[in-house]
Order: sequence, then C-alpha cells, then structure tokens
Amino acid sequence: MRAIGVDVGGTFTDLVSVGADGVDETRKVLSTPEDQSRGVEAALTALGAEPAKVDRVAHGTTVVTNALLERRGAHVVLCATAGFTDLLELRRQERAALYDLARHHPAPLAAPADVVGVAERMRPEGVGLALTDAAIADTVAAVRARNPESVALAFLHAYAHPAHEAALATALRAALPDIEVVPSHEVLPEIREYERTSTTVAEAYVRPLVARYLRRLGDALRNGGYPAPGVVTSAGGVLPATEAARHGAALALSGPAGGVTGAALAARAAGFDLALSIDIGGTSADVGLIEGGEPLVEPGGEVAGVPIALPRVLVDTVSAGGGSLAWRDDGGALRVGPRSAGARPGPVAFGRGGTEPTVTDAHLALGTIHAARFTGGVQLDIPAARAAITRLAASLGATPERTAQAIISTADAEMARALRRVSVERGVDPRRAVLVAFGGGGPLHACALADRLGMKHVLVPPWAGVLSAFGLAIAAERREAIASVMTTTDALDAEAMATHLTALAARVQDPEPGAARRWWMRARYVGQGHELEVPVTPGDDGAQLAARFAERHQQHYGFVLDARVECVSCRHAAIGAARRADFARRGPSTWDPQRLEDDGGPVEAVVRGPASIALPDATLYVAPGWTARALPTGGWLVERA
Amino acid sequence: MIAATPEFDPLELSVLSHAVAMVAEEMGSVLERGALSPNIRERRDASCALFDASGRMVAQAAHIPVHLGAMPESVRAVMDRQPRPGDLFLLNDPDHGGSHLPDLTMVLPIDDGGVIIGYAAVRAHHADVGGMSPGSMPQGATEIYQEGIVVPPVRLARNGVVDEELLALVLANVRTPRERQGDLAAQRAACEAGAAGWRALRAREGAARLDAGCRALLDYTERRTRARLAQLEGRTAEGEDALEGDGVTTDPVPVRVRATIRDAGLELDFTGTSPAVAGNVNCPSAVVRAAAVFVVRTLLDDDVPTNDGIARALTLVIPAGSAIAARKPSAVAAGNVEMSQRITDTIFLALAQAGIEVPAQGQGTMNNVTLGAPGWTFYETLGGGQGASAHGPGPSAVHVGMSNTRNTPIESLERAYPLSVETYAVRRGSGGAGAQRGGDGIIRAYRALVPCTATVLAERRARRPRGAHGGGDAEPGRALLGERVLPAKVRVPMAAGDVLRIETPGGGGYGAA
Repeated sequence: MRAIGVDVGGTFTDLVSVGADGVDETRKVLSTPEDQSRGVEAALTALGAEPAKVDRVAHGTTVVTNALLERRGAHVVLCATAGFTDLLELRRQERAALYDLARHHPAPLAAPADVVGVAERMRPEGVGLALTDAAIADTVAAVRARNPESVALAFLHAYAHPAHEAALATALRAALPDIEVVPSHEVLPEIREYERTSTTVAEAYVRPLVARYLRRLGDALRNGGYPAPGVVTSAGGVLPATEAARHGAALALSGPAGGVTGAALAARAAGFDLALSIDIGGTSADVGLIEGGEPLVEPGGEVAGVPIALPRVLVDTVSAGGGSLAWRDDGGALRVGPRSAGARPGPVAFGRGGTEPTVTDAHLALGTIHAARFTGGVQLDIPAARAAITRLAASLGATPERTAQAIISTADAEMARALRRVSVERGVDPRRAVLVAFGGGGPLHACALADRLGMKHVLVPPWAGVLSAFGLAIAAERREAIASVMTTTDALDAEAMATHLTALAARVQDPEPGAARRWWMRARYVGQGHELEVPVTPGDDGAQLAARFAERHQQHYGFVLDARVECVSCRHAAIGAARRADFARRGPSTWDPQRLEDDGGPVEAVVRGPASIALPDATLYVAPGWTARALPTGGWLVERA
Repeated sequence: MIAATPEFDPLELSVLSHAVAMVAEEMGSVLERGALSPNIRERRDASCALFDASGRMVAQAAHIPVHLGAMPESVRAVMDRQPRPGDLFLLNDPDHGGSHLPDLTMVLPIDDGGVIIGYAAVRAHHADVGGMSPGSMPQGATEIYQEGIVVPPVRLARNGVVDEELLALVLANVRTPRERQGDLAAQRAACEAGAAGWRALRAREGAARLDAGCRALLDYTERRTRARLAQLEGRTAEGEDALEGDGVTTDPVPVRVRATIRDAGLELDFTGTSPAVAGNVNCPSAVVRAAAVFVVRTLLDDDVPTNDGIARALTLVIPAGSAIAARKPSAVAAGNVEMSQRITDTIFLALAQAGIEVPAQGQGTMNNVTLGAPGWTFYETLGGGQGASAHGPGPSAVHVGMSNTRNTPIESLERAYPLSVETYAVRRGSGGAGAQRGGDGIIRAYRALVPCTATVLAERRARRPRGAHGGGDAEPGRALLGERVLPAKVRVPMAAGDVLRIETPGGGGYGAA
C-alpha cells in the first residue's frame, strides 16, 4: 500500500507517493487557488496512482492561511463579557509600527458591531456575576438578529471557569442549529484573554470555510476511489479530515509544518537528533528547529496579523529567497529583498521581462547553479543575468563578481539571523546541530549558512525539492488537547498530577491502537508571563516537574530563581506511528564523477568543494572547505573538511 | 558611495547590519522571557542595546522609544569609571547616565581575554525602587530623594561575582525585593547574551574588520538620516506647548523649541523652556535627546538601522537650569514619561509649523497608574488615540510617542493583585473630528478589593491634543474615583470597593471635516 502526500503551495502543488520500499513517484503541478481541492484531484490523476493501492492521502493546505490573509472567512459574531467587548480592537495596546505613526493593525475578524456584550462575570475564584436565563435569552436574540455564519464565545476567566460559556453554547446550539458555535474553553482553555479571544474568533471565522473545503475534497477523493483525506495541522500531525473540520485555526500553518516534519524524518533517518531546518523557495525561507528528532512545537504566533495561540511547529519565515531582488538604497548600500521577482517576471535569466537581478541571477552569474538541471524547462539567459548584475555593480562601484557574491551573502545574513533566532533564543547552540537544507534554494545556500553559524554538518535530504509532501505522506497521525491547570507544583503530588493527566488524556481518542501518549506541562515561575513546556508522565510528582522546569529554564535563559513554579496548562498528544519509509537509493546508477548529476540511484561518491552537484530538483553547492558524501539512504551529507 | 577600507568591504553593510541587530534582538528575547515582573515581561517596558569599545551604540532592539538614544549616556558614565573585565554596573542616577529612578540600567563591559571590546546595556522599568509611594512614580515629590533609591554607576559584580552586600543594600530599599531580584537576574542574563553574541561576531569577523564595519554602519545611518533631512533643507519654525502642572501646582510648564533644518541636520533650540520646577516633571537632557532621536526616526524609512548615526544629524540647545536639563536635587519621576511626551509633541508641532508633513497630536501622555499597598504594587501605563495624518485616520487605543508598552492581561492582573477590572473599552468618539479622524482613547476601570493607594500621573486633562490642518481637537483625558473627577496628577487612598476609572485622551483630527 502507498501513502500520498499532497503539499499545496502558492504556485505549485507537490505530490509524493511513498510505500514501505520508499518513494516511487514525485510530481509538481500548478496550484488552483480558487479551489485547492480541484488541484489536488488533478494532481492525483496526474500521478496515476492506482486508487485501490493507496491507503492514505495526507494534505498540507493553505486554505486557512489564505482565508486569513485575504479576509475571506465567515461572518462571525463574538459574545464577550459585558464591559469587555472591545478586546479585539484593543489588542495589547502596542502600535502597529514603532516609528510609522500612521500604520494601523489589520482589522479584527469580528466587526465592532458584531460583538455582543453578555451580562456575566467570572473571577479568578469563580462566579462574580451569574449568567441568568434572561441574559442568555437576550444574547440568543442579539446573535440571531445579526444573522451570522458562526458565533465565538469568549468570556473572562473561562479557561478556569467555563460554566457560563458552556451554558450559553448549549442555548445557542439549540436555538440556532445551523450555525457554528465556538466557545473559547473548547478551543484554547488558557489564561490571557486577548490571545484566547483572538484564537477563538479565528476558529469561528475559518471553520465554515474549512468544513466546506474538506467536504468537497473528501467527496472528490471518494469519487476517485481514494481513502478519506488527512490534513496536517500546524502542530505537524495528521488529523482525519472530519476532525480537522472542527479545528480550522489549527490548520493556519499546515504547509510549513509539513516541511519541518519532513526535515525531522530525514534527519532521524541519517542519524541526527538535533537539527535546524531551512526551506528556501522563490520568495521566502522557512526556518525550523528539530530537537530529540522531532520538530519543536510551541504555542503562539500570528497569521496575517491575527494571534493564534495554538501549538504549532515553530517556523520562522523571512522574505529572502531565489527571487529576492538586489538593489542599491539611497544610503549607497547593497540591499536584497524584501521585494521579490516572484514567478513573473522571475529572475532576469528566465527571460520573462525581469530586469533587476535576483539571488538566482547571482548564483547563475557565479556558476554555482548546475546549469544542466534547472527546473521547469526554462531556457536560461546567463549573459542577461550577468549584464543586470554588472549594471548594479557599477552603481555600487564594485566589480560584478564581488557584487554577485555580496548579493548571496546578504541573503545569507538574513536567513542566518532567522536560524539564530530559532536556536539561540531557545538555548540551543547551533554549532551542535546539523543543518537540514531543502527547497529549491536550500542546498545552494547551505554551506555558507553553516559557516555563518559555525555548524559543521549539512544534510541535504533526498527529494529536497518536495520534502514537505514527503513529510506529509509519512507523518504520524496525532490528536491534541489542552487543559488549564493554574496550580503550583508544590500542590501537585503524584496522585493529583496523574488525575490531571488522565482526565486530559480521556478527552483524546487513540488515532490507532497502541498510540503513544505524551504530556507537556506549560510552567513558569510564579509571576512570569512566558511558559516553558516540560514533558511529564503519570507517576511524576510536582517536585520532579519543578526540577525539570529549573533545568529547562537554566538552558533557555541561563539562570534559575528561588521561586515557586506554576503550571498554567497541560498539553496532551496521542501520536500514532510514523509510516516507515525506506530511504535507500534505488534504480539504475547513472552517476558520472565528471557530470556530478544525482538522479537518486546508487552513488558512492565523495565530492570536494568547490563543486555543484545536480539533484533531481535542486543544485547542491559544495563550498570550498566542504566535502559532500553521498548517503546510502539518499541525499548528501556535507561536512566541513 | 561608501569608501572601502582595507578592513571593511562596503558591500557587506547589510550583512553586518543583520549581524549586530541580531545580537540586540537576542538580548531582548532573553530579557522578556526571563523577567519576573509583568511590567517587563508582559508590557516590555525595557530596552537592550549594544555598544562598541568606544561607547558608540551600534544596535538597539526596537522596544521603547524613550530609551532610544538615551543609553549612550549610561555607557559613557560607566566608561568614566575605569571598567575592568568581569565588572557589571548598575545605575539609575539621572545625573550619571540614568533617566528616572525606576529605570534600573545594567551595563556589562564585554570582556574578551582581559580586554574590553564593547558594552551590553539593558534598561528596564522596575515596578518599585522605594521612595515615598509604592511604584516609585510619586505625585508631589519635590526632591529626587523622595522618589526612591539613587544608584550612581556602581559595580554590582566584580570578576563576574555579584557583590551580594551591594545587592542587599539595593533590595533593602525597595518594596518588592524578590521581584526586583528576579528582574535583575533576567537583565544580567540579557547582558550576558549580548556579550556572548558580540564576542562570537568579533571572533568571526576579526577585530579590525568589525570595528571598521561598525564605523561604516553608523556612517550609513547618518547618511540616510541626512539624505532625508536634506529634502527639508531650510525649513524653520517654532513650537510651543506646555505641561498642565508639575504635580505640586497646576501652573503650566511651558516647553518651547525652534526647529531648523540646516546643512542636512536638525537643530533644536529649547531656549524659552520652563526653568526647573518644584515637582517631578523635570527630566535629564538624555530624555530630550531620546525624544529628538525618536522624532527624526519617524521621518525615516522603517529599515534604517537604529544606532548612534541618527543622533549625529542632531544639534540640541538645552538651556542650563531648565526643566529639561535636570540636576540633583530636582525630582524627575514623571519627566521621563510625561515631559518626554510633551517634548515630542512640541518638536512635532514645530515641524508642522515649518510645513513638514507630520501627524496631528496624539494623546501626549502615558496615563501612569500605580495601585498598591504594603506587600504589593501594580503599575501600568495606558494607550490612547494617535493623531490622524494625511495618510488616514489615527489609530485608536495604542501607545503614542515615547511609549510602546503592552497592556497587562486582565486575567493575569486579577490573579496577581487584589484588584478587579470593571471595564476595559475603546473610548468611542474621543478622537478629534476631521477629514481624517483622530484615534480614540481607552477606558479602563479598576476596583480595589482591599484598601490601597492610587497614584495617577497624567497629562492632557485640560489642554486637548490638537488637530492639524483644520482637524478638530481630541477629547482630553480624565480620571474618576467613583463620581469624583481627580486632578491630572494625584495620589488618593482607595477603600475596598472603590472604583478608579481612567479615560485616556484621543488623538487630533487632520483636515477640515
């Protein structure tokens, strides 16, 4: 049986078909932004997989991201505690830009006129003002009058005291059976009202659209004889589509999460547990961190100006990629990005009307890209790329060669900054990690990035151009849940801890028999506002947890405090097994040490830099001082000599 | 064009800019994640900056404008004290590199094999540093000694070992020593992160190259600043505004400035500004410099690196003995938060008079609210309306001018303090009318659950934020205890059950409606 991973991106939809014996097919087709499910269907047809032999279709989708970016979600009414109906507008009071005084934050997903104040109030210790039947009736009438597609409920202190939200939800579901009712304690039972409200409204905003989309996709797949689809969540696990439809906000970073998941699997297959990953595309680079062989999952982050405080695979995106434009600013400095030539006109060398040099043009001018293997059948006009760089060089008073090098190192510097952010800020020394580089541009920049960070090992995984789709195909099924705790560790003996953990676990179904069960306590010193996640299992007591917390605090921040440790919430995941995939090289051996073209077949080779190796859909540039070794598991390991 | 030196290739400018900004950014992240008090960790009332061995600020993480360009004086004060490797300095004395006493500033000389190669500095607003009222933002103080413990630049650590006795002295003078200790630990960790980053960068780039690169980076910022100012060459005008009182009397405290753009630089002459006043709205000249740098920064593109290069395009004339050149024993607690806002407003006003396109006045205050009793102190500032501009309406409910702190989540506040928030809302209609409306202020009401003291230091309670180009003025702010309207600067007891309601000013409108 085979698993198919489908990664829908802005321009291309990537497909990978994986069986126990490894990848047997990869494919790139154009995305269909107006209805992604059509693109997926077309891609499956193009792949030509026999439906009866497919037992899984896993999908990374940008449906939610796009809906948030383009503000195309549902008409949402928000019910909030009376006196606190402006939380979405107030945000956290910080301005949109420190020095640009005219800039506004993006408009909230629920308009001010669509926020209904509800006469109720919970306090930290419980009911302050009881929610009456009359208040419920008033609220139901006010919601009905606004005729929404979905309703979000977010009351103060509902993370600890959900009774009012639950009572109102019951009434709304009975009175308005056709609309989605989304209470905050179901979406994110965690302290901090703004982030919880924002996340809940985001869920209400995207849920109808996600449900429609997944229904269409499910129908299309069923008609084609395929199994029901799974969807990758921001946290990097696969959820059956029927469940994913109720976790729309958890799909906001579905696409990038698949990439880091794929990188983690590739790193583990090559024997690395600690890795930084970088996926360099045409307009941006996505950076992730892999610890203990798994993508780092953290809560929080914003998508299109909307805080969504759900667990997500950490991905730091910077606008530097192959299409980033190089230019001279009014201070005389060479700059790269954030503007990009995109797919149209694209780099100058593509001959589609581009005139300003891009990072890709700089690589072509320097000859670091293996010209034999450029994707998409583009006829490259390298002299045009050189001419564009020469023009820019003249305005900077530098030689064209030096300018081309500086364009690449400027892009490298921005990406290196992101790589440092994700590692150093979490107490991880990048020098101990391997750099997993993929995407069209990852293997080109990998050695230089590793040099900047003092890293000694670079892993270029097999199928570097479609690694996200590969990650989707074999990612484990995973269900998550969160519960508020708000207790100090000294009040948690082993029994109390076990009660919390098992109660939370009982809410989560096994994705498959024998699934692994894992818990993380989100803890902080009393008084702090940021939590660290500490793994915990039934049997542990508060003292063990506090000690583990202190260790982690020391690692991340370099100090510990003589203060009590408070557990804010507990996160739980039930995780199935990842699909097994054999990473062995297969097929005819076509390797020729003169041509340096790796088709995925058996290769036993050691290549010293400088050299450019053509991969199936990218170029690996081995910089001077680096040596690349073909791995029997596919891909290349590049090491500082 | 940038001159190449044997050490530094100007094509690498963006590369270096990323590298140094990254180090300051890492400091900010360590501080924010590790700090104990809500004011630092949630509200981010703190700043981190990196200096080279000669005391030039090469990068500052973007946090709070009032700290912008003010920390070089802290580093200079430390350099005057023959710093040695392994030292760690602490200071808050406005006469020696400080701003106001709650801003405890830590400066770490960065040691590399026994040589000082730079400085990492972290300034953070601590929720209490002692003095006559909880929160150390007193109303009615007339001497700095009433505002808290004064710390000249002292060695908190030598040879990397903290002087526990000195630390004990500082902690014995504050109301919340445990919290202070946690915040200071986070500040130190942030300094260490900056030092580690700077050492690594220097090891990679080489000392000569990094030094030449930093020089080029500052030159570059200066060049871009001057290029912008050159477009406004020859403009000159005066601006005048005033504070509504010094906390002792309600006599206006005038601020006057003449702005002149000459030789691609900005001259700001504050002659005519009020002499030092009895109350605590005075500020040291470092705060004036911060306000001036901020105003210039708003005229520049977002991507200009923030470093000492901006200040090079500035000439400041600050009359000795004035309220904006405070020396001991002048009290200064509110100067950093309120005078800084008024200086900013007045400079903007002068630029507007000179025909330079700037927004109408914003709320022009930070609405400092302190609530406390023995054993606890809660401090926060509140946003309001931003002025409208030719580009559109003013944003509502944001921090304006020299502040950009975040709010304290109600759920955290209510769990941590014997307070309950009764209302938190946008103050609709408080922005000035106009072709573009000014932003609206905020309403926030606190109920005391136990007897406590409330201190409010605020402005724009009588003098409305002005509209521009025919736009309407905004509603002024106000504070109420129950039904009673309070003065702009006040300290009042609250009984259990009392409600303090703050309504913050809107921003001015732009253009006739």
